[in-house]
Amino acid sequence: MTGLAPRAMRFGQQERNDNMIHSRRAWLKQTSTGFGSLALSSLLTRQAIAENRFDVQSNQRITADRSHFPAKAKRIIFLFMKGGPSQIDTFDYKPLLQKNDRQALPFEKPRVQFAPTGDLLASPWKFKPHGESGTPVSELFPHVARHVDDLCIVNSMHGSNPAHGGACLKIHTGSDTFVRPSMGAWITYGLGTENENLPGFVTICPTLAHGGTKNWGSAFLPANHAGTPLGNASQSSEQARVKYIQNASLNKVTQRQQLDFVQSLNADYLESIGPHSELEARIQSFELAFRMQTEMPTALELSDETSDTLKQYGLDDPRTADFGRQCLMARRFAERGVRFIQVSHSNSEVQWDQHGNLRKGHQQNAAEVDKPIAGLLQDLKSRGLLDDTLVLWGGEFGRTPTCQGAGHDGRDHNPEGFTMWLAGGGVRGGLRYGATDDYGYYAIEDKVHIHDLHATILHLLGLDHTRLTYRHAGRDFRLTDVAGHVINGIIA
Amino acid sequence: MKNTPLESLARAIVLVLVWSPLLSAQETDRLEADQTTTAVPDAQQIEFFEKKIRPLLFEHCQACHGEQEQEAELRLDTLAGILSGGKAGPAVIPEQPLRSLIITAVRYDDSDLRMPPEQKLSDRQIADLTRWVAMGTPHPDSGRTEVDRPRSRIDLTQARQHWAFQPPIASPLPSTDLASTAGSSSPNPIDAFIATALQQQGLKPLEKSDKRTLIRRATLDLTGLPPTPQQINAFLADDSAGAFARLVDRLLSSPEYGERWGRHWLDVARYADSNGLDENAAHGNAWRYRDYVIDAFNQDKPYNEFITEQLAGDLLDSGNDHRLRRERLTATGYLSLGPKVLAEVDEQKMEMDIIDEQIDTIGRGLMGLTLGCARCHDHKFDPLEHTDYYALAGIFKSTRTMESFKKVAKWNEISIAGPEDLALQQRHAQQVSDKQAQLDTLLREAKTALTPEQKEGQADTIEQRFPAATQQTIAKLREELQSLKASAPPMPFAMAVADGTVTDVSVHVRGSHLTLGEVVPRRFPRVLAGDEQPALPADRSGRLKFANWLTSADHPLTARVMVNRLWRWHFGKGLVTTVDNFGLQGARPSHPELLDWLAVQFIESDWSIKSMHRLIMLSETYQRSSRSDPELAQADPDNRWYGRFDVRRLEAEAIRDSLLMVSGQLDPTMGGRLLTTKNRTLVFNHTSEDKSDYNLFRRSIYLPVIRNHLYDMFQLFDYSDASVLRGSRDTSTIAPQALFLMNSQWMTERSTAMATRLIAAEPVFESRTTRLFEEALGRPPTPDETQQVKDFLTSLHEADPGMQEVACWQVLCQSILSSNEFLYVR
Repeated sequence: MTGLAPRAMRFGQQERNDNMIHSRRAWLKQTSTGFGSLALSSLLTRQAIAENRFDVQSNQRITADRSHFPAKAKRIIFLFMKGGPSQIDTFDYKPLLQKNDRQALPFEKPRVQFAPTGDLLASPWKFKPHGESGTPVSELFPHVARHVDDLCIVNSMHGSNPAHGGACLKIHTGSDTFVRPSMGAWITYGLGTENENLPGFVTICPTLAHGGTKNWGSAFLPANHAGTPLGNASQSSEQARVKYIQNASLNKVTQRQQLDFVQSLNADYLESIGPHSELEARIQSFELAFRMQTEMPTALELSDETSDTLKQYGLDDPRTADFGRQCLMARRFAERGVRFIQVSHSNSEVQWDQHGNLRKGHQQNAAEVDKPIAGLLQDLKSRGLLDDTLVLWGGEFGRTPTCQGAGHDGRDHNPEGFTMWLAGGGVRGGLRYGATDDYGYYAIEDKVHIHDLHATILHLLGLDHTRLTYRHAGRDFRLTDVAGHVINGIIA
Repeated sequence: MKNTPLESLARAIVLVLVWSPLLSAQETDRLEADQTTTAVPDAQQIEFFEKKIRPLLFEHCQACHGEQEQEAELRLDTLAGILSGGKAGPAVIPEQPLRSLIITAVRYDDSDLRMPPEQKLSDRQIADLTRWVAMGTPHPDSGRTEVDRPRSRIDLTQARQHWAFQPPIASPLPSTDLASTAGSSSPNPIDAFIATALQQQGLKPLEKSDKRTLIRRATLDLTGLPPTPQQINAFLADDSAGAFARLVDRLLSSPEYGERWGRHWLDVARYADSNGLDENAAHGNAWRYRDYVIDAFNQDKPYNEFITEQLAGDLLDSGNDHRLRRERLTATGYLSLGPKVLAEVDEQKMEMDIIDEQIDTIGRGLMGLTLGCARCHDHKFDPLEHTDYYALAGIFKSTRTMESFKKVAKWNEISIAGPEDLALQQRHAQQVSDKQAQLDTLLREAKTALTPEQKEGQADTIEQRFPAATQQTIAKLREELQSLKASAPPMPFAMAVADGTVTDVSVHVRGSHLTLGEVVPRRFPRVLAGDEQPALPADRSGRLKFANWLTSADHPLTARVMVNRLWRWHFGKGLVTTVDNFGLQGARPSHPELLDWLAVQFIESDWSIKSMHRLIMLSETYQRSSRSDPELAQADPDNRWYGRFDVRRLEAEAIRDSLLMVSGQLDPTMGGRLLTTKNRTLVFNHTSEDKSDYNLFRRSIYLPVIRNHLYDMFQLFDYSDASVLRGSRDTSTIAPQALFLMNSQWMTERSTAMATRLIAAEPVFESRTTRLFEEALGRPPTPDETQQVKDFLTSLHEADPGMQEVACWQVLCQSILSSNEFLYVR
């Protein structure tokens, strides 16, 4: 501890404000060679130990940014459509359904249903082929349809839970029975972060219902892998901020003075005890927090975006502005090296959950997200970010082709067959993968379970889902538990 | 422990009658006749097999499950093969089609087990197979076949050798001259064990801590609050030999002790005031369990009693003692506090998931065993059989945890109304009936006063003919009656369980309730309780027997697991570091003899937790210095041998409570309900509107624990997840913790309160600074530090001359309260 000279960062009577900044620099310089570097290295060792990064197969420790094999994607943006958008009204065209409106479903409904439904309900929207691939997309998504050749549409998604809560947990954590780490937590646990001044996993305006924080929680993984929420679904994205990122009463100069004082106390305390990696790490964590305070508002500051960009995301239109801002924030986080970014289309209703009022509800929902999503895809592409950014779109389940409620205008939850799409980050564009039956009820061909989707996402990010494990309560846990297969057919 | 043939027969008949829509009434009648003669099939039955079943098995099954190939080790071309089954268990259970795997498979009930895989059999074929199983699987080889019942592959005799499955034995204390490092006359046995191990490692322990350090360590440890300057001075002034022992006694008898150690237990009980998971409904009565726990710790309730009440308080005879009954019912909240998927549409799945959560919590919490791992198969590492799991599941299936499974499901609550509550209720009922009578009388009298013509017509028409004043009085009385009715005193309910329909549970093959195997009688895990266990009562769930078994003096786990928890909470790590797992994958104890000695001591002191505290805290091991010693740091970096005391960060609650204490704002009121959400209503609904308010000044243990939305300050500082038990919290060091300390309104407000108080109390700079340090850090500042503080305040003022004194002192107090010395205990 001889490198530590607490006097250097104490404030002599004659020191003025600028001297203090100077003395801080001196201290920081000192710490970069003195106990600071010790702190940093012990911080890293500690993390490696705490994070229990142990690759069971090769018996090697994997470091925060070393994946199992070359990654096709470096980061992921999950556009989460809360409530369950209807596959047969968007990306899963079913001619027979259109033909047999109001007729009985010619096969059995699932053993477990959320609520009873009636006969078939044809989609109120027309489908047209788009792009070179000629993929049919309904008129609900005119802007996204222009990017159809970049989309890898998985029509054969299936899960098991027909209730929002269970299904949200399933799609986010892989389990609707137990408390498990979320997908984003697993990914940052596996890959670490590219920008240590920002969290590795952010979720913008998430819903607090139906799993709430569990959907971005770290469960038994170390706490630093939990998602950092910005606002929540009841707030507009304009108000979405990270908590405690700014001091309401102290200006930066005063706060820096304060921090210097705290650090000098901490240095004395450390000296009285002797080398102690945790105390050293805590000293570092204050410096990191101070840097985060600057970096986070910069990431959220949209004033340096051109008006064309703002328009591209629909920020000029009150209908699309809220979700558009989320998408733009997502791009800005992606640029800054955030690993997992979730954007939620979730409001104070259950958003896409049209048990009735399908026409009005889906029309409005689609209108709010269509342009912003297209804008995001376009923007990522023009900035060269789409190549290594995986974009994922979808809800917690789909909807039934059979009708629910009065007025022949509603659909129930359907986890048996639904659609999600992926774009960029190593997936095959212009592809429709898998299929549901003639009416879009059950996934039947090349079925993709939620575990399979998770396995594939990890694969695209360079992680083997069977090897990304964490030892807890006596056994190794995985995002995919004991299931999941990588869907090679969708990988470019 | 097997079912008698008669019981099996009865069950089969009931099942067939209730469950099998494929059989006509006539067929069922015939089945009954068939079943009386299962052992020796008659010619007609054999003919049925030869004509219907053998061709079916041959055509659809034997390509994969025959002489050539035996997928999943199953062959269906011989009766022996059918009865012994394959990897998943016997293919049939004769006479029990709905418990037979082959029937589940052909009916495509379970999405993971569908046979034949490419094409479902016809309804007729399925009906034939079902009927054949119901007949008792008549086959030409019947009565001549030796069936190899698939037995567990676990060698229990061998498995019982695992250290944690052997009863603890108190070995003689190591020779005491090793133990005495500070010349005390009667060394603490803990020190004897620790010293022996240290010496074996060639390590020299550090000296005892100074008294200031000791009182801060002990006070934070036992109460979660820092000592006041007065308490410190009193302790420093006490030079007598028993000073520290008296300090420990004082702390143990303070009510804050229960608020601190009760909270430790709540981590093990995965306590929460809301359900979490999918439907985050308010546990409006959970607080009663929390208060029960605090009280139990403060009363030093013997641990065996404590867990018996939590597992089976409803089954204990409380006689006419109403308070006792109420306490014991409340204790069983332990079983029902877990997170549940309340909107699970598949009710049977929900029930089994809830039971699973109970088994997991009890297994890891009380026994240090991951019993939940045996839900789908034999435990992969520990000698716990698949059947052990379902034997326990029967106990909890026979327990009424839920009032209803219909979505949204409701957990069970039981009235704990006592004579005083009933008296209140009665008084209220009397008030209502008095008021009603008053109204009735008035109506009758007013009506009598009317002429016969006026009495004709509807009641309300007649009333309009009353004099105006009477009408007004009537209206007023009605209003009063209505508000009186609405103000009925709420009757107290507790989240509690009761015995339900007593039943044994079938093995759920691969954990699925759609694929049921053999029925397992309720019993305890064989590796611990032996192969021959007395049957559990047929008219009781068996919970009380289970609790008695767990708390019997020779149980190898219960006492060990708890003393290890106590050790963990005192020292920051257990003697067994995997405090919730004593199985084969768990860590081995660092000091096995010490652990055993403590366990035996615990039982011999009548399971008194407070005497364990005394024992531990009076040891030199507990009182050692925490300074870093180069030699020790080199030889034992993790301090596995306890040569020094570990420097540790305070837990979330201790940080918050300490902040409240030094701010002068701590509200010491004990107990009660702080949750504002109505019982069973959603804490969060679709709106995501956050109504939680944590701007409260009560101790942290009383803040509502909202699953899926824990208080973010708690989450930042590694609070328990509250959905799963956690006997050992992590200590993370992350930047958002620093952001909270630097920027939160909570910190600004606490430090402002402290600054305001200090300024008012101490006008002189030096004494004010001294008081700040003594209150926050438990020591006066050094002259150098006083100078630093002065310089800091000067520099603040120079940077911003407009800054008021209280603002400057707020920044100063916040700095001290954010410093490591405040946040850590050494």
